[in-house]
Amino acid sequence: MTIVISPFVFGLIVLPFLHKIKLRFHKWVGIVPLVLFLTILKYKSSIINGNIVSEAYQWVPSFDVSLSFRLDGLSFIFALIITGIGFLVVIYSKKYMHSESAISRYFSYILLFMSSMLGVVLSNNLISLFVFWELTSISSYLLIGFWFYKEKSRYGAWKALLITAGGGLAMLAGFILMYTVTGSFEISQILSQKELIKSSPFYLTILVLTLIGSFTKSAQFPFHVWLPDAMEAPTPVSAYLHSATMVKAGIYLLARLNPVLGGSSYWFYMVTFTGILTMCYGSIMAIRQRDLKALLAFSTISQLGLITSLLGVSTETAVIGAVFHIINHAAFKGSLFMVTGIIDHEAGTRNLDELGGLGRKMPFTAVVALIGALAMAGIPPLNGFISKELFFEAVLVDGWAGYVLPALAVFGSIFTFIYSMIFVISPFLGTYKPKEKTVHEAPWGLLLSPMILGVTNLALGIYPKLVADIISKGAANILGKYVDAHLSLWHGFNVPLLMSLIVISFGCLLFSRLNYVKHIIEKIQMKKINLNKLYDLFQTGIPKFAGFITEKQMTGFLRDYLVYILSFVFLSVGLTSLFFMELSIPNLNLERIDVYEYVVAAIMVVSSIFLLFTRKRLIAILILGVIGYMVSLFFVLEKAPDLALTQLIVETITLVLFLIAFPHLPEITEENSKRSTKIINAAVSILTGLTVTFLMVYSKAYKIYESVSSYYIDNSLLLGGGKNIVNVILVDFRGFDTMGEITVLGIAAFSVYALIKLRLGGRKYE
Amino acid sequence: MKNNLLVVPVILPLFTAILIFLISNIKFQKLLSFVSTTFCLATALYLTKQVSVKGIQTLSLGDWPAPFGIVIALDLFSGIMLILTMIVSLAALIFSFKTIGSERENYFYYAFFQLQIMGINGALITGDIFNLFVFFEILLIASYILMALGGKPYQLQETTKYMIINMVSSVLFLVGVAVLYSTLGSLNMADLSVKVGKAGDQGILKVIAVIFMIVFGIKGGLFPLYFWLPRSYHAAPSAVAVLFGGLMTKVGIYAILRVYTLIFAPTLSSINNIILIIAGLTMFLGVMGAVAQMDFKLLLSYHIISQVGYMIMGLGLYTPLSITGAIYFLIHNIIVKSCLFLISGIAEKLRDTTDLKKMGGLMATDPSVAYIFLIAGFSLAGAPPFSGFFGKFLLIRAGLEKGSYLIVFVSILVSFFTLYSMTKIFKYAFWGTAPENVKKVQHNHYFGLVLPAACLALLTVFIGLNTEWVYSYVNSAAYQLMNPDLYIQAVLGG
Amino acid sequence: MEFLMALVVGVFFAVSIYFMLSKKLLKVVFGTLLISHAANLMLLTSGGLKGEKAPILSDGSTLSYADPIPQALILTAIVIGFGVTAFILVLTCRLYKTFATDDLSILRGEANEK
Repeated sequence: MTIVISPFVFGLIVLPFLHKIKLRFHKWVGIVPLVLFLTILKYKSSIINGNIVSEAYQWVPSFDVSLSFRLDGLSFIFALIITGIGFLVVIYSKKYMHSESAISRYFSYILLFMSSMLGVVLSNNLISLFVFWELTSISSYLLIGFWFYKEKSRYGAWKALLITAGGGLAMLAGFILMYTVTGSFEISQILSQKELIKSSPFYLTILVLTLIGSFTKSAQFPFHVWLPDAMEAPTPVSAYLHSATMVKAGIYLLARLNPVLGGSSYWFYMVTFTGILTMCYGSIMAIRQRDLKALLAFSTISQLGLITSLLGVSTETAVIGAVFHIINHAAFKGSLFMVTGIIDHEAGTRNLDELGGLGRKMPFTAVVALIGALAMAGIPPLNGFISKELFFEAVLVDGWAGYVLPALAVFGSIFTFIYSMIFVISPFLGTYKPKEKTVHEAPWGLLLSPMILGVTNLALGIYPKLVADIISKGAANILGKYVDAHLSLWHGFNVPLLMSLIVISFGCLLFSRLNYVKHIIEKIQMKKINLNKLYDLFQTGIPKFAGFITEKQMTGFLRDYLVYILSFVFLSVGLTSLFFMELSIPNLNLERIDVYEYVVAAIMVVSSIFLLFTRKRLIAILILGVIGYMVSLFFVLEKAPDLALTQLIVETITLVLFLIAFPHLPEITEENSKRSTKIINAAVSILTGLTVTFLMVYSKAYKIYESVSSYYIDNSLLLGGGKNIVNVILVDFRGFDTMGEITVLGIAAFSVYALIKLRLGGRKYE
Repeated sequence: MKNNLLVVPVILPLFTAILIFLISNIKFQKLLSFVSTTFCLATALYLTKQVSVKGIQTLSLGDWPAPFGIVIALDLFSGIMLILTMIVSLAALIFSFKTIGSERENYFYYAFFQLQIMGINGALITGDIFNLFVFFEILLIASYILMALGGKPYQLQETTKYMIINMVSSVLFLVGVAVLYSTLGSLNMADLSVKVGKAGDQGILKVIAVIFMIVFGIKGGLFPLYFWLPRSYHAAPSAVAVLFGGLMTKVGIYAILRVYTLIFAPTLSSINNIILIIAGLTMFLGVMGAVAQMDFKLLLSYHIISQVGYMIMGLGLYTPLSITGAIYFLIHNIIVKSCLFLISGIAEKLRDTTDLKKMGGLMATDPSVAYIFLIAGFSLAGAPPFSGFFGKFLLIRAGLEKGSYLIVFVSILVSFFTLYSMTKIFKYAFWGTAPENVKKVQHNHYFGLVLPAACLALLTVFIGLNTEWVYSYVNSAAYQLMNPDLYIQAVLGG
Repeated sequence: MEFLMALVVGVFFAVSIYFMLSKKLLKVVFGTLLISHAANLMLLTSGGLKGEKAPILSDGSTLSYADPIPQALILTAIVIGFGVTAFILVLTCRLYKTFATDDLSILRGEANEK
């Protein structure tokens, strides 16, 4: 818990606070990851003995959501990478970003990310994992957009967030489904109920949703499009988030849930083939890039594909290879990104066309680059060679996939070899090209971190036993059984070695024909659908589509709104009645109607219809008055004297009001509506009228209870002290209504005054 | 449980308003509004605490026994709503001090403001369907004038449309009351609930239920009744938009949840699929409207619609979990929506426009505003660990458990687009470079501008982190809603 | 009688809604006036018509009273309706003065022309 929270506290509270009081703490930020690294390392012997360190805090026990953490072999490896590379990146950034004014903010984001990422790999609860998962997306968003004044940064940040967070949403649904099956969010609980999930009808849905989450995060084809654009982030960020750690969160999830979700043929085909295709695609695309960082981005995509495909195969060899490659990739790719940063920093460009012959000027950098690139290409005696051998061995599966997979693996690796060569040869060898004449070796502040990583690469290659026991533990956690990893540089003559030899020889051959190869790739590329275009189409298309359907309904014209609303009224009322009511013809009691009632009703109907054809506003107002008085007359007939009186007074005042306002009111002019509009208007009006008539008739016919009014008749005099029951109700039984009514009248009075008096905007036309 | 204090949230704003009408000193008006609103908030907190300890509080006005007199009642749901109303009102009020301008202040702005609160509070606590109509009229007429006050052309134009659509809805309300009275012969909601329960499965009751869905749906901004909403909120002054955006539609949703769980619960099983369809379309079309906009306030207004869909989704699923989710979401949304409208108000103040294309660079000039927006925006999009996450989480879980996969899919899709449009605002308004010659707000003004938004943002973080605590109340509130007997007992059997 | 009233109210609703769908704001306002009459008549009908005498207590009479509740409700509704009518009337005048038109098909309003 402390491990996860401490960078958080430092990043979000301590740093901004110290920044406010002008203390330059950010120079010492490296202490935080270093201490964490050592703390985690302390658990090594315990982990190797098979212990699991766990810690749990309640968050929302009612939803089975807790902040429970668990350090086992797998999370141990990830936690070390996160803090270790984190430490190196912080040291590197201090020099790299030193001229940046917002450096304090930068480190806050980095620490925020570090916390979140540690949270992802240490969580033992799916929901807390998801929480941290989304936080990594958010911190990545902020870091890519760190230079927010650059359009490209904004574009890249937005794209990365939308794709990874969108995948996250799918994953959340998968997690909740998992909960509905197993009844728990605790990962350790779920792992113990794998049979339940595998036999559940939701298995495939859960798998697909989780894979979407994982593939978007780990930039697997076809979701990889965000990663190259994420390179707009400052280079240390790319090294840290977008190659060493964050993009591996998806891999981590695959590894973590492998015992539950893995083992089926769905898993094998979906994961393995996505992985291997991504690997081939990424490595081919890497060759075309002119920008060193873009090259590394595609290379990262390709390497992540490699690890994913290993997890798809998930045999013992495959998993050992996957875990080892996770470590190796973090080490060599981290160093290569830092080298790129150095080149950019010193030579002022990352463009391969403008680089060349730097080797003599910056020999240390060149050596580090060479080690990294050779590791990436899988050349002995480096660590990358061992994991690549394991990869080749793992893809030799049974069945038809046993032919396809090795072929693709070799094919992809050839291109991996080529781009590794490009990386080391183009900038450092050949003639000196940069415009900047005074290029010199990088300062120690920049060189230190990549050198440490370079040494790690060498050490792991020559003496892989260093990490063998911990890799065994990690692999055991993935497979859910005991694993003993034997790692060595020399495996003897076997098929994987043969495959490596093919890769190297074809790689050299094709590298010497590089321009020709690029030409072919570009030709193929031209014919394909560009996935970036798809995202851009989404970006332009969605607002357009949304705008289209919004404008269709939100016309700004009152009449349209009322037509929609009223149509909904009569349709919904009508349909509900048709479906749920037994409609018989009710007793209309026509014989109880007196002649004078017919007369009043007729006057009201006739005058309202006459109103329709009036062209003069004065006459219209007068007709309205007549109707009002008729209503009042009707109240008299219906034994409602108070109503009649009130209606009479209100009608008169309204009439007066209209006459006062008369000079300020518009004329009634001819309407030039379309015929179809008029017909729709008429239809809507008539149908609504019919609905109301229908409601009145049937609510009478379906009367269920008698009114409570007898109470008032009985108690009005007794308790209310008045003979006029309506008055007693108004001032006593329902006095609260009357208070409200007076309030409305009061507000109206003041509003009218304010409306007439206060005119801020002036007139629009005139 | 009888409690005389229940009348305070209605009477206090009324008296405050009357005093403000009488005394023209603006400073005094501000002070009075502030004190009264704070006091109201305290009362709301106290009353809700009482409810959670002692059960539903009621008050028969004039001591007339229910169902004959008017009863006001406070259960946990209305208590929570009351607290939120007062919190948002307080935030909007403080924001008004800095933004509303002396002209509007001179024309009784603060009085209308208090009357608006009175209307909302009344609608929340009343237990009588016609009294609900009366309070709706109070809050509506207050909202008309708050929206139109100032009389700028755009304001007048949009207020007119808003007003006429709401007049139609009021008439429909009366139609509903008439039909209800005609069939059931009563107006007291608890009494109606008993009678509906006894009447059994009658077609006419479903029709009445649908009418009330329309009446409150117009106020709540449901599909296809929401057309009035976006532009009229856009036309209102910022401080008023905070109040409207945060609260007004939610009063409609409150009323839907209230009448459907109390009165029309027996009809829900046959119409819940219709409700889910409405919910889905409301969410989707609302968020599409938001995606299309390039205007800060308008975009937020469209989001109101889409978020309302989630709450109705909770009603449509109608399980204890989904009702809990709906209430939780309502709480979260009121806070976050108000916060976002406050930020849009600040941004408008800083940049003199709400057009996103003309803004930009707020991250560089006003980082604190940017971070508050980031919290509120991500919270709205349902990103953890903010309050929005658990609201969405509960609803998705309720949907999956009930097997309503389509609505779950829609809700996830919509939350993706919510994220899209929130980050769109961030991209255009906060990132990028500031336009030339931006105004600098004086430091002492700045604090008053940012404070309310900052508090609300803290609240969403607090709720997210302390979900268990909030949940315990929300869960009891949902329990009370799912068991209307408790309400009936408190109102009729006391 | 109830059926006759149902017809009258139906016609009132139809006519007033036809008015409200008009382009001209003044006609819309006329529509709102008429529709509130309709709503009041409907409320009155909901309590049952044909009461034999007004709900004013008198001793010794055996005639049935008209239902007093709807009458009380209508009284409230009439007064509220009056307030709202006054408001909309002034609003109409102001709108007409400001825009020099009351044609709602023109007054659509663009998002940013505040």
